[in-house]
Amino acid sequence: MAQRAVWLISHEPGTPLCGTVRFSRRYPTVEKRARVFNGTSYVPIPEDGPFLKALLFELRLLDDDKDFVESRDSCSHINKTSVYGLVVGGGELWPVVAFLKNNMIYACVPLVEQTLSPHPPLISISGISQSFELLFGIQDFLFLGQRNDTELNTKLNQLPDLFLQACPFGTLLDANLQNSLDGINFASVTHPQKQPAWRVGTYKGKPQVSISITEKVKSMQYDKQDIADTWQVVGAVTCKCDLEGNMPNVTISLSLPTNGSPLQDILVHPCVTSLDSAILTSSSIDTMDDSAFSGPYKFPFTPPLESFNLCYYTSQVPVPPILGFYQMKEEEIQVKITVNLKLHESVKNNFEFCEAHIPFYNRGPITHVECKVSFGQLEVFREKSLLVWIIGQKFPKSMEISLSGTVTFGAKSQEKQPFDEICIGGTAYLKLHFRILDYTLTGCYADQHSVQVFASGKPKISTHRKLISSDYYIWNSKAPAPVTYGSLLL
Amino acid sequence: MGPPSRETWAQRLGAFRASPSAFMAGPEGEDLGRDLLIELRSEKLSEQTKVSLLALSLEYPAQLWPDAAAAEAAATSLLDTLVLLPPRPSALRRPLLLAATTALAAGDALGPTSGASRRLLPLLLGLASGRDLGRGFGPASEQRPLQATACECLRELESCKPGLLGDCLGLLRRLLGQEGPVQPLSLLLALALRNALVIRAKAKAGLQGLLVAGDAPTPGGPWNWALAEEGGAHPQPQAPSWSAAEDEECGLAVLEPSPEEARELRAAVAQLLDSSYLLTPVAQAQLLWLLGWALRGLRGQPPVLFKPQLVRLLGTAQLALLHAVLALKAAFGEALFTAQDEALLLRRLTLAAQHPSLPLPAHLFYLHCLLSFPENCPLGPGGEEAAPLLLGTRLGRSLLPSLLHDPMTLLARLHLLCLLCAEDEEKEEKGQDWSPQRYLRELLAGLRQRAALDGGPRALAALCFQASYLVVRCLATQPLVLTPLTHGLAELYRARPALAPHFVDLLDRVGPELGEPLRVVLRQEVVSRPGRDEALRWHLKILAKVADGNAPSATLGFLRAAAAHCTDWGLQQALLRVCRTLMLAGVREGLADLLQALARQLEDPDGRDHARLYYILLAHLAGPKLGVALGPSLAAPALTSSLVAENQGFAAVLMVQEAPAPIRLSVGPRRAAGPGPVLQLQVEVLEPVFSLELRFRVQGQLYAPLDAVHVPCLRPGRPCSPLLLPLQPRLPAPTQLSVRALYATPAGLTCHAHLPPVPVNFEDLFLPFPQAPDDGDKQGFFEELWDSCLPKGAESRLWCPLGPQGLEALVSRHLEPFVVVAQPPTSYHVAIRLPPDSRLLLRLEAAQADGVPVALRTDHWAVLPLAGDYLRGLSAAG
Repeated sequence: MAQRAVWLISHEPGTPLCGTVRFSRRYPTVEKRARVFNGTSYVPIPEDGPFLKALLFELRLLDDDKDFVESRDSCSHINKTSVYGLVVGGGELWPVVAFLKNNMIYACVPLVEQTLSPHPPLISISGISQSFELLFGIQDFLFLGQRNDTELNTKLNQLPDLFLQACPFGTLLDANLQNSLDGINFASVTHPQKQPAWRVGTYKGKPQVSISITEKVKSMQYDKQDIADTWQVVGAVTCKCDLEGNMPNVTISLSLPTNGSPLQDILVHPCVTSLDSAILTSSSIDTMDDSAFSGPYKFPFTPPLESFNLCYYTSQVPVPPILGFYQMKEEEIQVKITVNLKLHESVKNNFEFCEAHIPFYNRGPITHVECKVSFGQLEVFREKSLLVWIIGQKFPKSMEISLSGTVTFGAKSQEKQPFDEICIGGTAYLKLHFRILDYTLTGCYADQHSVQVFASGKPKISTHRKLISSDYYIWNSKAPAPVTYGSLLL
Repeated sequence: MGPPSRETWAQRLGAFRASPSAFMAGPEGEDLGRDLLIELRSEKLSEQTKVSLLALSLEYPAQLWPDAAAAEAAATSLLDTLVLLPPRPSALRRPLLLAATTALAAGDALGPTSGASRRLLPLLLGLASGRDLGRGFGPASEQRPLQATACECLRELESCKPGLLGDCLGLLRRLLGQEGPVQPLSLLLALALRNALVIRAKAKAGLQGLLVAGDAPTPGGPWNWALAEEGGAHPQPQAPSWSAAEDEECGLAVLEPSPEEARELRAAVAQLLDSSYLLTPVAQAQLLWLLGWALRGLRGQPPVLFKPQLVRLLGTAQLALLHAVLALKAAFGEALFTAQDEALLLRRLTLAAQHPSLPLPAHLFYLHCLLSFPENCPLGPGGEEAAPLLLGTRLGRSLLPSLLHDPMTLLARLHLLCLLCAEDEEKEEKGQDWSPQRYLRELLAGLRQRAALDGGPRALAALCFQASYLVVRCLATQPLVLTPLTHGLAELYRARPALAPHFVDLLDRVGPELGEPLRVVLRQEVVSRPGRDEALRWHLKILAKVADGNAPSATLGFLRAAAAHCTDWGLQQALLRVCRTLMLAGVREGLADLLQALARQLEDPDGRDHARLYYILLAHLAGPKLGVALGPSLAAPALTSSLVAENQGFAAVLMVQEAPAPIRLSVGPRRAAGPGPVLQLQVEVLEPVFSLELRFRVQGQLYAPLDAVHVPCLRPGRPCSPLLLPLQPRLPAPTQLSVRALYATPAGLTCHAHLPPVPVNFEDLFLPFPQAPDDGDKQGFFEELWDSCLPKGAESRLWCPLGPQGLEALVSRHLEPFVVVAQPPTSYHVAIRLPPDSRLLLRLEAAQADGVPVALRTDHWAVLPLAGDYLRGLSAAG
């Protein structure tokens, strides 16, 4: 369950080493156990330099993939998880749990309490999930709410102290590093009995509960006979409960209007104490019975002090909020495009913003654009080979808008123009970006009156809702487009 | 020089961290550990700097204090520093406790004889139990964090030396029930409990009131090391990997706790589980792993204790918690999870493996968990990835790959798809509805299209080949998948020949199901369109891999055309490599002409030499020998002429190698017949040997030169008929034959070996007199011989001792063929012919119980001593 070592590496493409170790921590007592457990298959933790090199190579983050290198490119070198074996000092260091996110590589090596050859299945190694939790924890700590490099550096500098709190001997005590930071600051408070370890300290002040529901809608639209359009809503409910007492109890109910779309695939925060079995089984993959559970969805919990995600869900709404088609035809150096978008009448026509981005990949820079829009304005980013159609706050009364015209391209120069592995030939898309406040597509809401709080004082309860687009693609219907399995079910 | 300031320490620590080994090898390395301990007491350094010094000691104790004695001294010093801290709040107490613990545990110093251990353990236990340790241990506000830290230190020590806290279980339970900090105490108790159970079970001892023993070591009293020593001082797996744990399965069954003990144990576990909700998710997961595997197989501990936790855990998105549930599933199986529970767990896993709100690494891990799911009733062999039975097609189909996925997700989902295809094999082509095979084919086509993109990243190409390899591995028997794959790959090659290294790699790794047809289509692809640009290099690389004896004329035609474009050394070498492949494949017709042409035509002298050499080899060596000559040669340094590299191979093949002989030669039974003496040789071999030639040489010139003996083939364990070696002595004397063997190994090398010399004994030369009459006057014949020896020869008498069997047995064993007149059992006349033209005559008469007097005559005086030795040696020979 313990970790032998942890690293944080910033990925710096273009520099000689392509990266820098920003933080590393080793656990010698765990290492000692590893030597005993792993026996002849034991490979010691390398120093930072060799580790950096081996990891970047394995993750394909060195700038040298020109030539075929068997140990990396061989067809039998198949990696299906974020767990790698690194060749260091003549041996294979395994398992190295590592992933890249926001230009930062998170890596650690969990202890495996047996011989490593042959590799035992990952599922049977307790340290693997602990590794992931640790790395996710660091990632959340570094990037949640972080705005610039200075803040990042401040947080990186806090890590050694935080690790003394959260992971003093390699066995992770709390993946929520912010908690540990608060723990340092709260050190003077005497902890009463039965305080959850994830609720460090107590809140003093005006009681208030804030609930915000954020729905993201994804879509893949093809405008084709044999391929179905797909769309999905993904929701997250975030809470911040400022309540006095050691273990205040709160129950939040999410409700749907009569024509609302049922919530599915619900995942809850570990502080939720009990779950209705209907919540546990409502699934988008395979509805167990015909009558989908449509709420209310009750979540009783003891809140942590910080803001947290009470639950995530998905939902299948009957229609996509904006339905459209995109037709693009190549004619030598220019393409002819036609776009049509229609807002569904049931959707709130009041956007914070709404834009359609039309990128052109694997071509030269845009040299000439001749386009007409029925509504909004068109901006051209020549070097990026991108058109942005700014639709604005509202669709017109007809709810339907269109764009048509031709775009001409210059000669293709390999380096500068955007490359894409999917948009080859006529395969192309437009991507919608929009946000609607105080609205959810499922209709899901948290009724202020249904929030039950068992704590001293009557709290002020505030609720917020918003809908955001995410991965909202409309593919060129005049060329092949990538499909997922769902689109083939007609 | 004054004490190092904060800045110099920062520099020193920076240099150390950059490369600990380089720093320790440098001039400052030796003193670092000592300086660090001294500086911790310096009043000039800030607490923050001291904390960073302690942090270093937490990570690198082995470098700072390399042996147990140094570690012990360091721990003592750290404890002294701790005690000497002023009673005001300090940030140093926690790290000092951690550092002392680390120094002892990592430095192998923890034990009953270590003074530092005897100080640290009671101190930690005192802090953990919230005992008032006096003002020296800081203000009351610091007690709570110190209590938690002490628990963590104890847990680490218990991890490194299981059983250390065996005596404290009762105390820990009480503390947990009172006001102690829940998480540190729960984890400590769970670990100590698990270790105690395992150690007791291994010793086949009972629990012996371990759980209720309330008497913790008294402050200042001796620490009880009994259980730790029983545990053998080896760390115990806390959450053993399943496969390993199954080996020691039910090891705990021997514990046989009494009903009362079982109840206590149950109460302890229930106490831990009930408050587990208060632990952080990662700590909850640790607790479940510890307890799950601690109770597996233990009598009176129903797994149903865990049931109340499961629903809560199944609902979360927390990776560690779901993983812990899977661990419980693996530990208890059906005892804890009914078939419905298993189905629900699978649904939750499937959901988590694709939930848009979870990060990618979590998706991948859940996909792995699905493919390695611990099923209640697994169908296939354990340890192999397989789709769980209850996953069903609907759930499985929700996890299908698409081109939009990142490479790892795509491969993981592709694997699942392949498993579904394998199950679905029989359904293919039956209904018109969607089939997984079709989806798979389209996906692979999409991957190839991406890989074909000119100038695209190598990762995309690698992904395409990895996917193809995965598919072939899972679906090697499905022509509906393999045929389009083969043709698709050929098209991909046509579109982007620069992927040749990937093709070669793929051909190296796949079995014949794809390998054979792919070779054929690639060869056709290459030879059907002559290349003359960049692609030629790749074409030649592919041909060197796929060329064979089939349709050699097309290949040769391609090569002839290509030769004109092979202007640089690299291309010429590539061309010659293809020729070499063809030679290996046994192509002769046309190839010799091509090689001759190349030997004239190529611009580079190395290439010309090479072609000429190949031509000579082709013209002079038979097929198998050619194969070996061209076989893999020793690795030569890059960039030297390939001729040099290959020369090593040729040299090995074309020259005779000196080798230790795999041949054993021995002399078989004598054959006293025929015109001259013949040695019967028995040959045994340790490995197959071909074309064996044995050459013999007589030391001195006693015998005429011997002919070599030839054996075509010898195999171990298969005896061959004895080899007959006719001897032509020039004098009737024993000798030694030195033997050399020349032979070919199965690898085609010709070897040469010296064998141990073969002795030719005196008696090996014995021959009977052929002209002895069948009956009639044998006595007269003998007397005639006897008389003829003198006066030219010599005469002697000697005493030949007899063994218990007597004269008759001796004669019949050794002299039978030579007896002329016999009057058993007391009298024998023996006449021996000794080549080239000597005789030895023996009269054995009037034998007594212990010996027989022998009169002997010979016509060659030099024979007498040999005969004497021979006769005297007979009884010893038995």
